[in-house]
Amino acid sequence: MTSQPRGAIRGRSAIVAAGNTEQGTVPGISADEIAVEALRLTLRENGIQKSEVDGLITCKSYGGFGIDTEIGRLAGLNPGYSATLDYGTCNFSLHLACAVIDAGLASTVAIVYGTNQRSSGNRFSHPLGRQDEASVYGFLNVAGPAGMAFRRHQHRYGTTERDLGHIAVSQRRYARDNPLAIFREPLSLDDYLAQPYLVEPLRRADLCMISDGGACLIVTSADRAADLSDKPVHVQGIAQQTGLRDRQNADQWMRPWIERVAERIYPAAGIERADIDALYIQDPTSVWVLQMLELYGFVQPGGVGEAFRNGEVGFGGKLPLNTNGGQLSEAYMWGFLHLCEAVRQLRGEAGERQLDGLRTAQYCSTFGFMKAASTILSTDRS
Amino acid sequence: MDATTDGSVFWDQAGNATLTFQHCDECGFVRWPAAGVCPECLGRGFTWKPVEPRGTVWSWVVYHRAYDKSLRERIPYNVALVELTCGVRLLTRLTGFGSADPVGAAVEATFEDIAGTGLVPVFAPAAGGTAS
Repeated sequence: MTSQPRGAIRGRSAIVAAGNTEQGTVPGISADEIAVEALRLTLRENGIQKSEVDGLITCKSYGGFGIDTEIGRLAGLNPGYSATLDYGTCNFSLHLACAVIDAGLASTVAIVYGTNQRSSGNRFSHPLGRQDEASVYGFLNVAGPAGMAFRRHQHRYGTTERDLGHIAVSQRRYARDNPLAIFREPLSLDDYLAQPYLVEPLRRADLCMISDGGACLIVTSADRAADLSDKPVHVQGIAQQTGLRDRQNADQWMRPWIERVAERIYPAAGIERADIDALYIQDPTSVWVLQMLELYGFVQPGGVGEAFRNGEVGFGGKLPLNTNGGQLSEAYMWGFLHLCEAVRQLRGEAGERQLDGLRTAQYCSTFGFMKAASTILSTDRS
Repeated sequence: MDATTDGSVFWDQAGNATLTFQHCDECGFVRWPAAGVCPECLGRGFTWKPVEPRGTVWSWVVYHRAYDKSLRERIPYNVALVELTCGVRLLTRLTGFGSADPVGAAVEATFEDIAGTGLVPVFAPAAGGTAS
């Protein structure tokens, strides 16, 4: 249970393309068609032929769409391998792609995701988890558990709402330089604190939007990468951990078991945490960013406000964080755009947001209270 | 709903002002939400039995937005997670705290009809003091 898997995947696969459709409201097109559109744009922009793709990994989207058998048919693909994951964030898809490539089941895998949840009226109002008391007590939306986790954090460490506000404010500042981002208007800490509560202690800016869009990554073996791209981004390390016992886990919504991923990911990648040049944390809520900053050891427990104020993390700080604006400001996309942004930054294709001297980036994500994953990407093959 | 994940005994017994959960016949583990298998020992036998109606508040929030139209009349309302002495973590509502911070407070169950569906457990400050 506490075994330390060795980083067998290190340097053996690479991302050779990342792309996306427009984000926001995309009416008149099905979720599966959006996913295929993301594939088309990604192949075209990166000069890769569809015939190169012999693996397909899709992700279920709102309304039950996104199944590999449907998307393969729409995209006219007979891949040697295909699968659908029931959860997004792209980390789980990427890790499966790496394993599939390493096992020789496919050589070049397209990871696709598309959703039209905004146009089709999703309000994230379904109860979370399996408890049936959710409907009796009105415990809907991720803001409920995230709000409780933040209150608990405040109780334990004295964290303030102002401390938390730095996360949304920093991400909005990045989004202002991102033409893809949906929320680009300025947001100051005072603006944040002036917002009314949605689920107290959380405000609108602490919660991700609901938007339509598609994204795609093309992953191949490190040996083939040079044939498909002159700027491959290497997968240096991957790690996962679950918390599937859910409600029976102590402090379930603070998700302390994420720490197990942190213990594995740096050894798996053969680097130290201090080697990370840019950090991406999937953010359905700002509270998840706060938690992962601490659980991966980037800030001291309770020290998030200070870390932003001292310029240790965030916009203009030592460690750039969610330079696309994240789900809070850029677009929903269940975290897929964090990896797209990391790839663009590492390839020097991030336009106005381009960071200097970037070699290594890390992406951390979670599937609710069930699963956590992290990936370390590098410009170098280690 | 599978018979084995049917939690209706819990809600029926709440109507009698009692907190009742499945106890594993093999290892005694008390589980909630209802399930056909014990998550500790994987045993299948269970018996619904009352538990001590006391616990500690893990955390709480206040909904100012109705995420379903059935909740429009109710906002603002609070939701809390209480860790019962029997080990179960139960979603609930807090009552009687005024402006005091309930996190970590010792609470005991009382029963109210908050959703027009009959009596359900809500939790008030325990007589005789606060916990950690």
